[in-house]
Amino acid sequence: MNKNNTLHLNKINMKPWLFLTPVFIMFSLFVFWPLLYTFYLSFFDWNMVSPTKTFVGIDNYISVLTNPTTYKIFLNTLFFIGILLLINLVVPYIFAFVLHLILNRLKGFYKTAIFLPAFISLVVGSILFTWILNPISGPIAEIAGWFGIQLPIWSQTEGLVIVVISLITSWKVFGYNFIMLYASISGISEEIIEAARLDGVPLHRIFLDIILPVSSSAGVYILIMTIVQGLQFVYTPISVITQGGPNYASSNLIYQSYNEGFILYRTGHSAALSIMTLLVFAILLLIEFKFVERGVHYEN
Amino acid sequence: MRTNSFLGILWHTIFILTVFILIFPIIFALGTSFKPLQEVYNNVLNIIPIAPTFDNYIGLFERLPMIQITMNTFTIATVVTIMKMLISFLAAYAFVYFDFKGKKFIYFIFIASIFIPFTVTMIPNYLIMSSWGLADSIFGVILPQISDAIGILLINQTMRSIPFSLIESARIDNISHSRIMIDIILPLIRPQLMSTGIWFFVNSWNEFVWPSLMLKSVDSYTLPLALQMFISAEGGTDLSVAMAVSIVTMIIPLLLYLVFQKYIIGTFTASGIK
Repeated sequence: MNKNNTLHLNKINMKPWLFLTPVFIMFSLFVFWPLLYTFYLSFFDWNMVSPTKTFVGIDNYISVLTNPTTYKIFLNTLFFIGILLLINLVVPYIFAFVLHLILNRLKGFYKTAIFLPAFISLVVGSILFTWILNPISGPIAEIAGWFGIQLPIWSQTEGLVIVVISLITSWKVFGYNFIMLYASISGISEEIIEAARLDGVPLHRIFLDIILPVSSSAGVYILIMTIVQGLQFVYTPISVITQGGPNYASSNLIYQSYNEGFILYRTGHSAALSIMTLLVFAILLLIEFKFVERGVHYEN
Repeated sequence: MRTNSFLGILWHTIFILTVFILIFPIIFALGTSFKPLQEVYNNVLNIIPIAPTFDNYIGLFERLPMIQITMNTFTIATVVTIMKMLISFLAAYAFVYFDFKGKKFIYFIFIASIFIPFTVTMIPNYLIMSSWGLADSIFGVILPQISDAIGILLINQTMRSIPFSLIESARIDNISHSRIMIDIILPLIRPQLMSTGIWFFVNSWNEFVWPSLMLKSVDSYTLPLALQMFISAEGGTDLSVAMAVSIVTMIIPLLLYLVFQKYIIGTFTASGIK
C-alpha cells in the first residue's frame, strides 16, 4: 500500500480505526479467539462436556503423531491433493489456454456452462453422483451392464473411494478455477502470442514457454487455494457419503479432526490435529505471499 | 486467429463432453424428481418420465417443514450477505483510502485468516454458541459466517479500480466519508458489489459444514441439511424424493446465476476475484 495513494488529509485521525471496528470485533470473537483457544485446548485432555480439563503438555501431539491411523490419513490427504490438483489445476489450465487460443466459437457458452456447478451445493453434487455412480442400479451401472461389466462398490473400496470423492468435489471446483485461469491467460498481450504463432512456434511450446510463466501468479494462487479449500470442500462428500470409511480409507486431516472432536469427543486430539493442519496451511500461505500477493495487490 | 480445423473439432468435442458431464446430473435430477418411485429404478436411462407426477414434491412438503427450512436458509444467507458486505466494505474503505500505523500488518493478518481451516475454529465456536444459548439457532449459524476475510480482499481490490484523485478531490471539498461511500463509490462499483453479494449469498445458501454442527432439530435445518437426510451410499429408497429436495435446494442459486451470469462472469474475469 503506497503512501502517496492515501488521503493525507486524514492522516492523523481515528477514522480508519472506526471503520475497522466491526471487522475487529467479528474476527476477534469468531476467528482469532477460537484460534488461540484451540491452541490452548491442544495441551489438555478433555471431552467437551466434563467440567475439568487435565493439562497433559504435548501428549496430544505425541499420541496423534504415533497413531498409525494418522499416517494413513496423512497419505490419504496427499492422495486427495494429487487428484484435486490434476483435475482442478492441470486440466483447467489447458482448457483455459485452448478456449483462449484455439476455439473461436461458443466461448461464452462454455464459460457459462462450465462455471455453473460452482453455484450448487456440494451436498446436491454428492447425492446426484451417489445415484449416477450407484454400482448396482444407477445409470452408469445400467449401461456398463449391457457390456457385462460390473461396477466396483466404490464407497467400500480403498483408494477408489478417494478418487470418486475427489471427482465429486471437482464437479464444483473445476469451473471456478477454469474461470480464474482463463481471466489470467486472456489478459496476456495478443501480440506476443500472435508473433510466436507467425514464427511457427508449436502450440505446446507457446503454452509452456509463454503462457505458463506469464500467468504464473494466478497459477500459484489456484494451486494453493485448490489445496487449502479443496481439502475442506471434500469434507462435505466424505461426511454425507462415507463418514470417513471404510476403515478411515476416505478420511483426511480435516475430516479426522472433526471425527476426533465431535464423534469420539477427544477434544485435545482434534485440537492438536487441526493445529498441525494449520501449520501446513501456514507454509502454503507464506509461499502464496511470496509469489502472488506482491504481484496481485500492487498492480491494478 | 485461424486454427487448424481438426484441432478445433477435437477440442470442441472435448469441451462439449465436459459440459455434458457437468450439466447432465442436474437435468437428470430434474427428470427423476418427476418420476414415480418404480420408474426411478425401472426406467433409469430415460430422462423424461413416462408418467410424470408431482407426488415427490407433495410428499416432500408433507414429510418435512420445507417452507420453514427454505425460510431458514433464505434468512441465514441474506443476513450473512448483508453483514459481510457491510463490514468488509467499511474495512476495505479504511485500507484503501487511509494511511495508519500497522496497516500492512493488519491487512496481512486478515488475509492470512483465509488460510485457517474451519477445524481450527469449530470447537471454540461451538462452545461459544452453546454458552450464548445459540446452539440449534440460525443466529448461531449466522455469526461465525460473517467473519470471512474474502469480503475484505474482494472489495479492497474493486475499490482500487476507482481513480484515486476522485476520492481525494471529494475530501478536499469536505464531503463526508459516508457521502463519499454512498454517492461516489457505491454507484461506481455497483455491478462488482452485486456479483460479490450474489456469490456470498449462494455460498451461504449452500453452506453445509457449520450448519451441520450447529443445527440439531429439523425445524431449524437449512436446505443442504434436509437434503443430507436422504443420502446413503446404497441409493436408498427415497431417491425420487431426494431428487426433488435437490431441485428445491439448487433452484434459487441456479436462477440467480442464470439471470446475472453476464455480471458475475464479467466481474470474476475482469477484476480477478481471486
